[in-house]
Amino acid sequence: MKAKDYRSPLEPVWCTGCGDYGVLKGLTQALADLEIPPERLAVISGIGCSSRLPGYTRSYSFNSIHGRALPIATGLKLARPEITTIVIGGDGDGFSIGLGHLPHAIRRNPDVTYAVLDNGIYGLTKGQSSPTTEVDFKRSRGLAGPDERPLNPVLLVLSSGCGFVARTHAGNLPHVRETMRAAIRYPGFSFVHVLAGCATFQTPSYAQEIYERCDMLPEGYDPTDFAKAVEATRGERFQLGVIYRRDPEALPEGALEPAGVAGIWQPRGGGVSEDAAHEE
Amino acid sequence: MSQTPLSTTPASAAVPRGLAESHSLVMALVGSGGDGVALLGDLMLRMAAQQGLYGMMVQSYGPQIRGGESAVILRIGRQETVYEGDRTDIFLCFRLADLKRFQGAVRLHPQSVVIQEESDTGDLPEWIGRSDRETYRYPFAKIENGIEVPGDPKNMLALALLCRVLGWPAALAREAIGHRFGSRPDVLGRNLAAFDRALAAAPPPPFPIAPGTGRSLFAETGNEAIARGAITAGLRFFAGYPITPSSEIMETLIDELPLAGGCVVQAEDEIAALGMVLGASFGGVPGMTATSGPGLSLMTEMTGLSSMAELPAVIVDCQRAGPATGMPSRTEQADLYHAVFAGHGDFPRAVLGVFDVVHAREVMYKAFTLSERYQLPVLVLSDAYIAQRRQIRAPVEDSRVPPERLVWKPGMGPARFDVGGEHGVTPFRVPGNPEGTYLAAGIEHTQEGYPTADGTIHQQMNAKRFRKLEAIARDTKDWFRTLGAPHAPRGIIAWGSQYGLMKEWVAGHPEYRVFLPEILHPFPIAALDAWRKNLESAAVVEMSYQGQLHRTLAGLTDLSGVVSVTRSGGTPMKQAELERLLDERRS
Repeated sequence: MKAKDYRSPLEPVWCTGCGDYGVLKGLTQALADLEIPPERLAVISGIGCSSRLPGYTRSYSFNSIHGRALPIATGLKLARPEITTIVIGGDGDGFSIGLGHLPHAIRRNPDVTYAVLDNGIYGLTKGQSSPTTEVDFKRSRGLAGPDERPLNPVLLVLSSGCGFVARTHAGNLPHVRETMRAAIRYPGFSFVHVLAGCATFQTPSYAQEIYERCDMLPEGYDPTDFAKAVEATRGERFQLGVIYRRDPEALPEGALEPAGVAGIWQPRGGGVSEDAAHEE
Repeated sequence: MSQTPLSTTPASAAVPRGLAESHSLVMALVGSGGDGVALLGDLMLRMAAQQGLYGMMVQSYGPQIRGGESAVILRIGRQETVYEGDRTDIFLCFRLADLKRFQGAVRLHPQSVVIQEESDTGDLPEWIGRSDRETYRYPFAKIENGIEVPGDPKNMLALALLCRVLGWPAALAREAIGHRFGSRPDVLGRNLAAFDRALAAAPPPPFPIAPGTGRSLFAETGNEAIARGAITAGLRFFAGYPITPSSEIMETLIDELPLAGGCVVQAEDEIAALGMVLGASFGGVPGMTATSGPGLSLMTEMTGLSSMAELPAVIVDCQRAGPATGMPSRTEQADLYHAVFAGHGDFPRAVLGVFDVVHAREVMYKAFTLSERYQLPVLVLSDAYIAQRRQIRAPVEDSRVPPERLVWKPGMGPARFDVGGEHGVTPFRVPGNPEGTYLAAGIEHTQEGYPTADGTIHQQMNAKRFRKLEAIARDTKDWFRTLGAPHAPRGIIAWGSQYGLMKEWVAGHPEYRVFLPEILHPFPIAALDAWRKNLESAAVVEMSYQGQLHRTLAGLTDLSGVVSVTRSGGTPMKQAELERLLDERRS
């Protein structure tokens, strides 16, 4: 299987220069690398520019409603643990309307990969500020309250106990591919923060500025060190790479083995055998 | 549940000569939170069931749900019981001050037995009526220096006295206490000791009940019946969020669904609960959530998604009273509009109503049948009066096979949302099937599921989805019950938990016939119109301020001459009130 075998016949509606193209490409490459059969793949989203992405993949995909992709993915994964489940969404979808679901998805720890394509703006509704929009932009629109600073989504996810936390930039295709591959392989809830600029509502110079603020995590960085991971999420610059990776065998104290439906109960018409489970 | 066979002396053996055995009696038990009134009621009901008697028990708490005053109304009889009765035969009260909040719930008659706390010296309030028999007083409370201190469990003392009143054997009570506390020997010992102490007291006045069949029955609540009925109907995934009065559905499923190979998730909110159900359903696994009005409000957008993406889902709403927070522990029938109409845009859904605990299981089978067969959301309206009621019923025998979804197989052909499907139903593509990949979408879509903003396609897709509702209307045209003589001149249309009142009403009023829809949407309107021929008068009786059923029916048929007999929820309607309301509307 090649990356293009994971594409549906549908052509993206994204603007020329949109960062989401890079994510679609990197994701399909990662899926090909992992040789996940499309019929055993589910790509789920809410609503927004990036939430169109599932429709461009060849999979059992679901373009649901604004902010609610995580509960849907959790339900699917519990009901059908053998289906590789990926959630794609934007910063408005995931960090504004849908934020309440994120820490709960993390603490349930289903084997789901959640990639947020963060452009710091509401593109689909034409340029409103999002929870990750920087202060200067909001001020220029007359929006900022006295202290309306952006969220730090990676720190938030880390502090919620997420076992796998990574960041990449849509403009760095090999890195997107590598990061998505590692996230999907992680047996547990994995979070990928993807910096993906908006070609229409941000200036080219701003997109360039974001790109230049990115650094690769240093050689020898230990992603199992939680304190280091927290440190890596702070400050003006964006650290790219696997920021935190908890040993999946070392479930947090008191955590239970995930219990699903399909292990004991076979859905009718599923055509799935036990041994076909995705190889790690 | 293990049923220990018991050799019991017939109750009549303990009855003094000259006192007739009652075939049905009503007990009212009132106390403070912590007095164990609810457990006392549970034990009495269990003992009745073990003797082959029918009955039901309803509870009432203060508005804050935990703590405060607590009352239990228990009706026991030789026939299936779905109405709590109009008069109180046995009234037991641990603290008179707690009685205030239950005005109207207790109604004495000249033969009533009254058992009261000895240190309560005040008079019974006027509204309660009066008994000609002398009040029996017992020191339930332990008083030291004028202050109540912890003493014997009051409910165990009361249990002994009630056994004496009814003429029930003490062995039956000891078995019930053992069943409840068997795993904790010290607690068991303390409770049995209290029971024996009160059993040795001077006997209270008798009010014997005719013996049961001796063949043991069992009691369950409306919420338990909904959970168990759903499992029988094929439920394998449940997600829910705690809310009064529906929480016991989730709690029952936590215990019982894993045994059937399913799983339960307590979601972070009701939006997530229905979202998870839709995720499981997308995966081909039958799912359900249960909530009350506030949760149903939060689920509104997801309900539209269920219909739009054609994902089966069953949503149970145990209605409580009022908007916003309202009165959480009180019953009402005012979520009908919400169930039938809520949501933006046009979309089909079906709405069913529950009559009583026994019916709850049947309704769940029907709900899953419609949901799985037609791939849409089905709402089941229960209410606090059924949800929290414990009712004795005959053992369940249901060997039916769960309904099946029409599933797609490779080579089958039609696109996921093919507009040519029979009755609008197209084969469901279960993940895992090679070549079956597709896009499910809440956005309007083409037959393949791809997004579209084409008005012509939107019209075609609406037509496809609503053809399912037409087919459901044909399938369910007989989903209703009637009560009374077919040619009785006066008619009542009622729904849901009003069933109990109606059953009692027609038994004493042969001039009435009653129509009760089992499906509220699409409403079996042709059947209603056929049933109401040659009526002299007709009324829609319900519990909502606006008269939601009456107004809904007015949009479906000519309702001129049919009056609306309605009021807000709170306490369930009784016969005396129904009589008054019918008279008022007639004049």
